[in-house]
Amino acid sequence: MEHIERTQIKVSPKNRLIGWGLVWLGVALCSLGYIVDAREAAFNNVLNFLFLAGIGIGALFFLALEYVTGAVWSVPIRRVNEFLAWLVPFAALLAIPILFNLDTVFAWAQKDIAASDALLRMKEPYLNRSFFILRFFGIFIVWIMFIRLLTRNSTRQDATGDQRLTKINTILSAIFMPVFALTLTIFAVDWGMSLDPHWYSTIYGIYFFSGTATASLAALTLVTAVLYERGFFPKLRRDHFYNLGALLFTFVNFWAYIAFSQFMLVWYANLPEETSWFIARWHGGWEYISIVLILVQFAVPYFVLLPQEAKMNIRTLRRMAVWLLFAHALDLYWLIMPAFSATPPLGWMEISFPILIAGVVLIVLGWQVQNLSLVPVGDPKLKRGLEFRL
Amino acid sequence: MTTIDYTQEPAITIGVVTSAEIDAAISAPLDRFPSRRWWIAFGIALMILSMGLASVTAILFKGLGLMGFNQPVAWAFDITNFVFWVGIGHAGTLISAILFLMRQRWRNAIARFAEAMTIFAVICAGMFVSVAHLGRVWLAGYLLPYPNQHGLWINFISPLVWDVFAVSTYFTVSLVFWYLGLVPDFATLRDRTRNKHKKLAYSILSLGWRFSNRHWSHYERMYLILAGFATPLVLSVHTIVSFDFAVSVLPGWHSTIFPPYFVAGAVFSGFAMVQNVLIGVRKFFKLEKIITLKHLENMNKVMLATGMMVGYAYAVEFFMAWYSGSQFERFVFLNRALGPYAWAYWIMVSCNVLFVQLFWFKKIRTSIPAMFAIGVLVNVGMWFERYVIIVTSLSRDFLPSSWGHFSPTIFDFGVLALGFGLFFTLVLLFVRFLPSVAIAELKGVMENAQPHYHE
Repeated sequence: MEHIERTQIKVSPKNRLIGWGLVWLGVALCSLGYIVDAREAAFNNVLNFLFLAGIGIGALFFLALEYVTGAVWSVPIRRVNEFLAWLVPFAALLAIPILFNLDTVFAWAQKDIAASDALLRMKEPYLNRSFFILRFFGIFIVWIMFIRLLTRNSTRQDATGDQRLTKINTILSAIFMPVFALTLTIFAVDWGMSLDPHWYSTIYGIYFFSGTATASLAALTLVTAVLYERGFFPKLRRDHFYNLGALLFTFVNFWAYIAFSQFMLVWYANLPEETSWFIARWHGGWEYISIVLILVQFAVPYFVLLPQEAKMNIRTLRRMAVWLLFAHALDLYWLIMPAFSATPPLGWMEISFPILIAGVVLIVLGWQVQNLSLVPVGDPKLKRGLEFRL
Repeated sequence: MTTIDYTQEPAITIGVVTSAEIDAAISAPLDRFPSRRWWIAFGIALMILSMGLASVTAILFKGLGLMGFNQPVAWAFDITNFVFWVGIGHAGTLISAILFLMRQRWRNAIARFAEAMTIFAVICAGMFVSVAHLGRVWLAGYLLPYPNQHGLWINFISPLVWDVFAVSTYFTVSLVFWYLGLVPDFATLRDRTRNKHKKLAYSILSLGWRFSNRHWSHYERMYLILAGFATPLVLSVHTIVSFDFAVSVLPGWHSTIFPPYFVAGAVFSGFAMVQNVLIGVRKFFKLEKIITLKHLENMNKVMLATGMMVGYAYAVEFFMAWYSGSQFERFVFLNRALGPYAWAYWIMVSCNVLFVQLFWFKKIRTSIPAMFAIGVLVNVGMWFERYVIIVTSLSRDFLPSSWGHFSPTIFDFGVLALGFGLFFTLVLLFVRFLPSVAIAELKGVMENAQPHYHE
């Protein structure tokens, strides 16, 4: 077997400066936001926390999926998923300001509301501060544990090439799958659904997953495409990119299917306790966001990614990846912000948190590409992965 | 810990065989007179089918009152059977179309059989709504929107009408997809057979196929397009079946998770049925070299995954019933687990969620008696899942004064027999008259057909 060299990327001081610059600018703007309007800042904080955590945990899902299904085509780009997964602990840091401000975001955390509302009193065993914070830490400890185990085994394999590590990771990934389904659902209910504490929908966890997974795939595609265009993945082929494009197309459809199912059933049954959630998203300007969301998250990517040729065109894929990351942010905006305001808020605060997380992503990815090999050189499936043909 | 060599591709191929050996192995059952075992099996299937037909005939003459349903449980066995059989069909399309789009070539050996089961299962499902449940079958034509002198028009906002469209579209596309795949095999059979009548039949069915390059290139393109069509269709069918329940306002039926939950459950039960029947077929027709243990193991893995998705849906529904704070929602789920139908509920949970967990162990995944038993249990569990959803929600709804209890009569079981009788009769006829494995597709996964073989 031919030897495959480790690839490490030297991050230029300029890029590092940009990363840290964005982080400090973001921190400054977000802090200012908390001073000017703590409520708006806290809601934006939730949105961006979910965005970052979702990309990280979605990357871990695709990482585990590769092991469970025994896929080989994605092995050469697996490190990108491993790098993205490490965003999860930094997302957890982003949640800390909200943990101290639960009552500014969550109505159920306000003592007077929780005590006077009959429904909230019934939900009190689940929706209360201490259990909420306990769940938050529990979920993140489990996620970080799996990230640590899977990436550590993968990095160790670089040096040893030990096949047993692949086996161990396969078993870990299989265990992770049901854990992921449950934790992500609890996470979505806690941080998304409970913003409107009266409302409930059984599909909510899957809806959150569909958007998160699409965004993670988009992040994977974007990073892979950018690195490829700079010559860091010389051995990738159009075949690999075709698979990324096909997966993106699948998840775009999956999101639309889940979103439609939820809307259709609520609309058709027309029960006031359920429709209230959609009514809030159909008045005061939110109706435009709702329509734009359908176009941005489904219609446009559907038609762009439908042709076979588009799925292999790296430029199209890169642009679509950026587009879908924006679409997911819009989806979260549509999910979360109606709890903040009856009209869609748009100001400098909506930009300040994305600046912060862009900086975090650059720093975290930059640190990893500099210190770890971009290709899992010890992986026994790597050669087959590089030889992958459609 | 068993060691797997990850540098090598796992054996999806079927070892070194010649094309002639494949032709012979697969067409052997079609060339010889049926064995005694086949006649016995066919006799049993026909007997079950005639029991079903007798019950349906009696119901048509005397009326639906012969069956156990009444107010408030006006849907019971018929709709349970309908959803069950539509679900069975889903595995076929998943294997033949979705796994094809994912380029999972191990599917080639089992796709034909699974696709045939799809068609038979959808026929069974159609029987239950159009014949058994409708009551006045002679009015079945009104389900279709056509201009008539009565000025009658269908109720487009009824999900039952969507069912008619969804199931008939699904059936049509599945049939075309299946037939297209059969065309090259008909040509092979045409070229092999010495029997004049068979030759004529196969010649007509093979549509003049000559194995030319141009034929193959058209065929491959069409096959891909039809697989692309079949994929959203298979999702839409069970989604719309779930809408039958979920668009209502009945607690236990109205739940937004129903569409993906029903699709996962359909694939789950479908795989169990395909696995069960294939175990029999590969044994009796000596196809062990073609349908390998690896195929069965892969199917068991899919069952494990989809079984856990179903379990996830049960858990989420239970949690949300509590979380909703709605008295009715909470009651429905407590009533399922502890009420008069608790036995059915616990059969459902244990068969669909608990027993299937045994597939975590490779020993059980690769043991034929164990996997067969679990497959049967899954089918039992999935039948009971529909029964639980339908009957428990209807029997006790908002007003305790209108509660009731459903108990099936002998005619309900007769109708149940109709589905199994029809299905197995069709399956047994299929294995005698058509190649149960796609000959042409199988040749593509032979070890000696791979590009690297001659290196």
